[in-house]
Amino acid sequence: MNSIGLAIKLGPADLAKYPFLEEASEYIRETRFAIEELDRPEMDHILRRSVDILETEISAGKVYTNLDKYEIEILSFLVTLIMIKSIDLEPVTKKHSLLEAMRTEKFLAEDLFKEKSLPKKKLLLHKIFQELFDIDIHFDLDLTIFRLSVPDYLMRASKMNEQEWKLINRSVHSGYVYIDTDEAVRLIRSELSNLIYDRIKTMKIPLVPERVKICAEELRKKFSIYYTYRKHHIVSDYPPCIKHAIEMMNTGENLPHSARVMLATYMLTIGKNTDEIVTMFQNSPDYNEKVTRYQIEHLAGNKGSRIKYSVPSCKRLHSEDLCFATVDCENILNPIQFGRKKANAQ
Amino acid sequence: MSLKTSSDNSSFLKGLFREYYFKDSNSLGTPSMIEKREFGYMSFDSIMVRHLSFRNKKELIARLVQESPSDVYCSNGYYKFPTNSVQSKEWEGADLIFDIDLKDLNMPCSSEHSFYVCDQCGACNVSFLNACTVCLGRKISRSTIPCRKCLISLKKETQRLIEFLHGDLGIADGSIEIFFSGNAGYHIHVSDSEFKTLDSRARSDLVDYICGNGIMNESIGVRKSKNGFYIKFPKSGMVFGWRRRVASEFGINQSSISKLKRIVESNGGYSQFKDDLSAKAKSIGVRIDPHVTTDIHRIFRMPGTINGKSSLLKVKSTNLETFNPLDSACVLDDRQVYIRSKVNLKLYLHENYFRIKNSIERLPAYAAAYMICKGLADFIK
Ligand code: SF4
Ligand SMILES: [Zn+2]
Ligand SMILES: [Zn+2]
Repeated sequence: MNSIGLAIKLGPADLAKYPFLEEASEYIRETRFAIEELDRPEMDHILRRSVDILETEISAGKVYTNLDKYEIEILSFLVTLIMIKSIDLEPVTKKHSLLEAMRTEKFLAEDLFKEKSLPKKKLLLHKIFQELFDIDIHFDLDLTIFRLSVPDYLMRASKMNEQEWKLINRSVHSGYVYIDTDEAVRLIRSELSNLIYDRIKTMKIPLVPERVKICAEELRKKFSIYYTYRKHHIVSDYPPCIKHAIEMMNTGENLPHSARVMLATYMLTIGKNTDEIVTMFQNSPDYNEKVTRYQIEHLAGNKGSRIKYSVPSCKRLHSEDLCFATVDCENILNPIQFGRKKANAQ
Repeated sequence: MSLKTSSDNSSFLKGLFREYYFKDSNSLGTPSMIEKREFGYMSFDSIMVRHLSFRNKKELIARLVQESPSDVYCSNGYYKFPTNSVQSKEWEGADLIFDIDLKDLNMPCSSEHSFYVCDQCGACNVSFLNACTVCLGRKISRSTIPCRKCLISLKKETQRLIEFLHGDLGIADGSIEIFFSGNAGYHIHVSDSEFKTLDSRARSDLVDYICGNGIMNESIGVRKSKNGFYIKFPKSGMVFGWRRRVASEFGINQSSISKLKRIVESNGGYSQFKDDLSAKAKSIGVRIDPHVTTDIHRIFRMPGTINGKSSLLKVKSTNLETFNPLDSACVLDDRQVYIRSKVNLKLYLHENYFRIKNSIERLPAYAAAYMICKGLADFIK
């Protein structure tokens, strides 16, 4: 904080865009807003807005980009979280967290790019990158380029599947990576998403207001249709590594590339067809049927290099942090042997 | 290699190693946070013992003297519970390590100083065979005696790695330690605290950076378009890191749009240029063993211990230019002993040249041990 000084502060317009900041919660405390007030008819527009946000995100799969006055933004941010909590469907929680992060990304990129005042820009960087995620990031001479340390960069970028994020495709010098505004905000997407996810998870609401409950119940009915197919994937007989990956995916988690390869090659080897495997991936937040299908056919050796990929060895999976061995894994070299061993024992 | 485990060979080596650990334990490099590391060793009967932990150097030395193992390992990672099974150790971080190994350098001279030793009967051949001519065994190990050229290339490769660590990654010299592996390579240990918590995926990205894997046309400004390609240099410039390397390879800079365009065209377009670029990047990259760096749970040869593949020490180099591994790493006793050599060979060790014939030879113990560890001789009582 010292280098910036306290002279400049985030204003209401900022809190509208970044309602997850501590300052926004403070605002709510100061107004002495009580949750029960949501049962009052004049709050209907907030409830309707939250329903609208969730419909846009879950049914249409889109980022909600409307920006309203800060009083409305801060409240509907909160109400949406309460609604999600009472809908109580894990994929909904995950998807909202991700899309909310992407919404923030959009605002933040604009602010960092367009904002004229340098102290203000620095304050935003500090508030979001440094205070929330402990990333030491700085403007380079040219104010549209940022630099951050190689480890800070790698920790985040290595989780992204696109090749352009590989360190080799970056400008790297003396321990720093140089990136532009869009890239800088993209880098914290998953952390932002986790932040919102944790907010929902740790939120304690003794009594959900009746009106919110009614909205949530309706949404729950609507959304649960999207997520029922999951029940088809019984995970009991799979090796622990595969089980873990499926469970992660069922909760709408974004699997790393290596885990997707493991899962797909495993499923192909035990005889599942491409269609079946494609549906397994439907829950991924970044699911795209065409791309997924192509990738699976590629692994099966039907597309591209025509090499049929085999399931990675336990040793390999262990080194990639994908192994979750249990006693049943003893003497196994490849997850494929897991089922066989069990079958023999019976 | 089997004859190392023949009882005469192994009791000779074991005795020498024990003597060394008993007398010269000072050279043992104790890792920082010793109590959080996992230790392991390989006995002369090829039994691997893992998940050990020591509270201090004294405890560790006592164990080494007692067991006199063939090889000693220490985790690069540190754990809350180092003796637990891998799943419940609770990983807290790991030093960044790199392995530069002669086998990855594909030296043209390698066939001139390689031998093929049968794992079953120990018979030795100068050329590769599918099966042993004596016992028909099919397990054959390659044993190589690095020549001067090999040792120089290893040093150069190490120097190139240091340039990456230093210039690109900004790692301070004080955080980089260079070790001769004891056999045919160098191990580079980085103790920079910022890198310690990187997981395996982040390390794998780092490996690709250093090896030159995965470079894209776009990152140097060659972009795909509907009917071919166009040039638009990246906003963050061409003066740093791989962009600088590639730019100087092609003789271009941020203003050479038309020159780069010609280069891509003369290559045959976007995809052909991509192949050319990947090949160039690979040749500029450093040849390290990717698995060593990405594995955050590895137990790795411990500094200051004897390498059972050669009887030489894994020893630190403080000045790579003047460092001679075959002197510094040769630490065993020099009393005279007899061996039966299986090959004719010229050998340099510890400032001495040996001309060894395929017969009974009298040699200082350190040279005898080297030959036996390499599978090229048997000890005679
Ligand atoms: S030991 Fe193999 S099968 Fe078992 S969890 Fe690990 S990777 Fe999977
Ligand atoms: Zn044989
Ligand atoms: Zn050589």
